[in-house]
Amino acid sequence: MDFYITYFFIAIGLFGFAAVFALFGVYAERKISAFIQDRLGPTETGKFGSLQTIADILKMIQKEVIVPAAADKWLFLLAPVIIFVAVYMGFAAMPWGPGLVPSKINIGLFYVFAIISVETLGILMAGWGSNNKYSLLGAMRSAAQIISYEIPAGFAIISAVMIAQSLDLQAIANQQGVLSTERILALGFWDTTQVGGIFSWNIIRAPHLIVAFVIYFIASLAESNRAPFDIPEAESELVSGFHTEYTGLSFAFVFLAEYAMMFLVSMIGVILFLGAWNTPLPNIGGAKLATLTTGIGWGIFWITIKTLLLVGVQMWIRWTIPRFRVDQLMTLAWKVLTPLGFICMLISGVWRLWLM
Amino acid sequence: MNIVKILFYIMACVAIGSALYTAYTKNLVRSVFMFFVTLFALAGLYVIALADFVAVTQVVIYVGGILVLILFAFMLSGKQSLDAATRQKSKIINLGNLPALLLAGLFFIVMFNALNNNVEPAWVKAAVQSGKVIKPGTVLIGNIGVNLMTKYLLPFEAISVLLMIALVGSAHLSRKEQEA
Repeated sequence: MDFYITYFFIAIGLFGFAAVFALFGVYAERKISAFIQDRLGPTETGKFGSLQTIADILKMIQKEVIVPAAADKWLFLLAPVIIFVAVYMGFAAMPWGPGLVPSKINIGLFYVFAIISVETLGILMAGWGSNNKYSLLGAMRSAAQIISYEIPAGFAIISAVMIAQSLDLQAIANQQGVLSTERILALGFWDTTQVGGIFSWNIIRAPHLIVAFVIYFIASLAESNRAPFDIPEAESELVSGFHTEYTGLSFAFVFLAEYAMMFLVSMIGVILFLGAWNTPLPNIGGAKLATLTTGIGWGIFWITIKTLLLVGVQMWIRWTIPRFRVDQLMTLAWKVLTPLGFICMLISGVWRLWLM
Repeated sequence: MNIVKILFYIMACVAIGSALYTAYTKNLVRSVFMFFVTLFALAGLYVIALADFVAVTQVVIYVGGILVLILFAFMLSGKQSLDAATRQKSKIINLGNLPALLLAGLFFIVMFNALNNNVEPAWVKAAVQSGKVIKPGTVLIGNIGVNLMTKYLLPFEAISVLLMIALVGSAHLSRKEQEA
């Protein structure tokens, strides 16, 4: 029975992590946006306003959850939960360090890809259930955008999987460091199995994956509905899109899902392309930096740092690039990213056959 | 009663209950959302049958694809047409229901026979005796990939040609008419 108790603890721990991350993610977002726009951001609550988001969530919990009279009550109340649970379930397959993964499933990547797509359904549910034209428009835009961008993201992921030859996220992570059991050839010719560090990351093992990573990153911005792809909640046109009618705790769930999603997609990007929990420091001759900085504790440290860096880039992009129009969005997905993804996949095949 | 059995019965009940709701409710949009529950419960049953790849594929294709497209169709259609569908009288004995009733009856006969005679197909018995069974944790994706590219290549290609035809057809239908 101890077995099941561990499961519960891990599940609660991941939920706690998502919640804490969302709180500080919102704070970081406000501070970064303030820096970019030459403002100060929150300053009043706590030192440098660091307690601002905690005060916000306390306020939100106390607020009444208002259900519009014309709304479909069940769909309206369930939608935020489905949106969040879809993202939260994705965390089940994420490896945090060597041998440290909540659920070791051999099709982990495919599972995460599948479970994320459930979020679209939740958004449509919110849009329909609110019975509000802005919500409905936002939900439809969101679904169209997510479905379109799943295709380039899928091709970018496939080109990395073709190099790694596995769908198990832990196996993919293992291959990109000194713990690898197979031979690693950086750039296709330089044997770096013992060197490790940054030279055994997937983007160095097969440099065309840098392009695939950029494709994946752009697509992941679109899938988490962040600017420059935030037309589903474009506040200047649609009030705030599919979550216009939400208040109090339901609204908090939508926000929680958005930040958890940012972390999740960044983490997938890190695992597939940027060496997962492996250290960026290589072994240089006698200085065994890579061997020294590989382990469970270090693994958690590295993957968190890398993922937070990517989340930071997401925020940076949000506050610097203006919103895309719908037609520009579709042009980018279908005419630029999808063909590029195809080319990456082709190169991956050739690379795997001839250079590895 | 171990935990797998309990999970099996829970998911089977959820699948059947939500399927009944999907078929009976007058509210079309809610029935689509209940169908999502059915599909998810089915995916869970596939996992218990150790077909995890099928389970995940089911979620990707049905939930992420087909259900979302059905919802799109709902949202693009007007309120009148949705109301008309709600007001439709439904009798169980109806000429329009004949194919469905026939199919249900046939399935019932198959199920009844299988349960009544407790028949296991010969190949199942042979596989159990020779130990050729899937255990939890077996990696099956490689097997699926190799079989798709060798033994089942012709059906695979035929399906891709069919999808191609459907794509070309839809592109043709949605194209603007050229002024002559």
